[in-house]
Amino acid sequence: MDVNDLTNHIPGTGDFIKIDQNKCNGCGMCVRICIVNLWGIKNNIAFIRDDYKEKCLECGSCGQVCEPGAIDFNYPAGGTGVIFERG
Amino acid sequence: MNVYDIVIVGGGPGGSMAAKTAAELGLKTIFFERGRRPGEKNSSGCGLGPRMWKDFPDLMKELTPEKCPSMRAGSAARCYFINEEGVVAGYVMSRPTESVSYEPAKSWITMNCYRSEFDPWIAEFATNAGAELKSSTLVVSLLKEDGKVCGVVDEHGEKYKAPVVIGADGAISIVAKQSGLRTKWSKDQITLVPQYDFHAPPKKIDDIMGDEALAVWWSATFPASYQVFFNDGFHQGLGNWLIKWDKNPLFYLNRVINLKYYQRLLRILEAKPRELQSHLLPWLQYPYNTHTDGVILIGDAGGFPCPLEAEGIYPAMVTGKIAAEVAADAVTSGDASKNKLSRFDKMWQKTSVGEEFEAGEELYNIWKALPFSPKETMTWFVPMLMEALGGIYDWSQPHTKRVRQIAAHIKSYMPQALPFILKYVFPLVAKIFEDDLDDMMDPQKLMKALPKVMELLPKKKKRRRRS
Repeated sequence: MDVNDLTNHIPGTGDFIKIDQNKCNGCGMCVRICIVNLWGIKNNIAFIRDDYKEKCLECGSCGQVCEPGAIDFNYPAGGTGVIFERG
Repeated sequence: MNVYDIVIVGGGPGGSMAAKTAAELGLKTIFFERGRRPGEKNSSGCGLGPRMWKDFPDLMKELTPEKCPSMRAGSAARCYFINEEGVVAGYVMSRPTESVSYEPAKSWITMNCYRSEFDPWIAEFATNAGAELKSSTLVVSLLKEDGKVCGVVDEHGEKYKAPVVIGADGAISIVAKQSGLRTKWSKDQITLVPQYDFHAPPKKIDDIMGDEALAVWWSATFPASYQVFFNDGFHQGLGNWLIKWDKNPLFYLNRVINLKYYQRLLRILEAKPRELQSHLLPWLQYPYNTHTDGVILIGDAGGFPCPLEAEGIYPAMVTGKIAAEVAADAVTSGDASKNKLSRFDKMWQKTSVGEEFEAGEELYNIWKALPFSPKETMTWFVPMLMEALGGIYDWSQPHTKRVRQIAAHIKSYMPQALPFILKYVFPLVAKIFEDDLDDMMDPQKLMKALPKVMELLPKKKKRRRRS
């Protein structure tokens, strides 16, 4: 089962997750915690996948686990982003 | 500039309860929801407890299947125990017992419904009372004057002024952050909860699950997982503190789904995965930093979910109502200082939510050490418990011999069980019964009692005298 088939999103979110690659220490906690696998590590620095806006579940874990404070998680624009029809 | 008496950030059950209460007290009230309607950003928290009917009877009697078609209540709750091999080693099913004292708690253990139905339903009580709901709107910052909070700013730069702002904006609260009450949770204060929603035909659920409304899967291979049944589907989820995850959380949730027993259950229920959800849930020993000048935090934003089973809706509603009452007093008196708003703490501490947190530290610790430490604790706890519960269902030996085998085997777990009891169970028992822990833990008393306890479990058969 592909987890992305089990989520619904409304477009127009804007860029709501930002990473300051100068602050990232490459610990990989964001990669471990994200259940829809939106994070990766390249050259010891975390990056977020280009299509994260259509896949993010907005739990905010990435921002919470980031020790050096490199990940700035905000909510997407009102009325956009993930929809839980049976949450 | 839009001027109000009170601004509430968040349109979940806590925010709606605050908005309803504030509007009924005559305050000019606005509450914000970032979703197109309340509930569409929320997952879980779907189990409503009987205390809601006790504390909010006029409200809850209006909850009907016409309003929330997913509603399903049931009297039975099941605990599955899964061993290290991923086998369901046994289960216990229970119903409300003789000591349960009031309705509807005597009739059912939990009433379940989807947040996408429940949250809009409860928000309507607030708008009917005169509160203004601004949905599809994200609050991005707090308005400040002389360093003190005096309103909010939305994503379009629109300003909303009010002497009191209530933060009902969940685990990642912009109100908490910008008011300086909390920049981030520490990793042992917040849990991540991934969850699947499965569809299943209502008739299948009724025929197969009967009046079972809830199950907890206690396991040696994943943190305790909950299963909650609705009219045409069910949730399967699990959580743990951020500090505890050593692998991707979905890896552990999929372990539940991939149990042979679970796969069989999915087959007979004709269940199909319908949605994947994930959310953060604060799980604290005790809420702190709940208010400052012009700001009160309620529900998840204030860290109020129950320290035992993380129920969030009821504490959010209780704290939301109290926050609005305290805010109304502050608005009327023209004093919204931190000192004035400190009444909020005094008031919630007197409620059922406050009573829950009196043993918050002990509940938190036992939870963390037992079901949320599958490898360290559940690996011996599950077989030990099953030895006690199910060991006698066996005819491989004369039954008297079996009892001795069981007793000896339980005894073999004592090196793990006794320290656990001393460290986690005794403090909880002492708190609940207001006993003196130092007295209970007096080494001399323990040293005297322990050998006696061990002696109770016989080593070998004593020879019986022939008459």
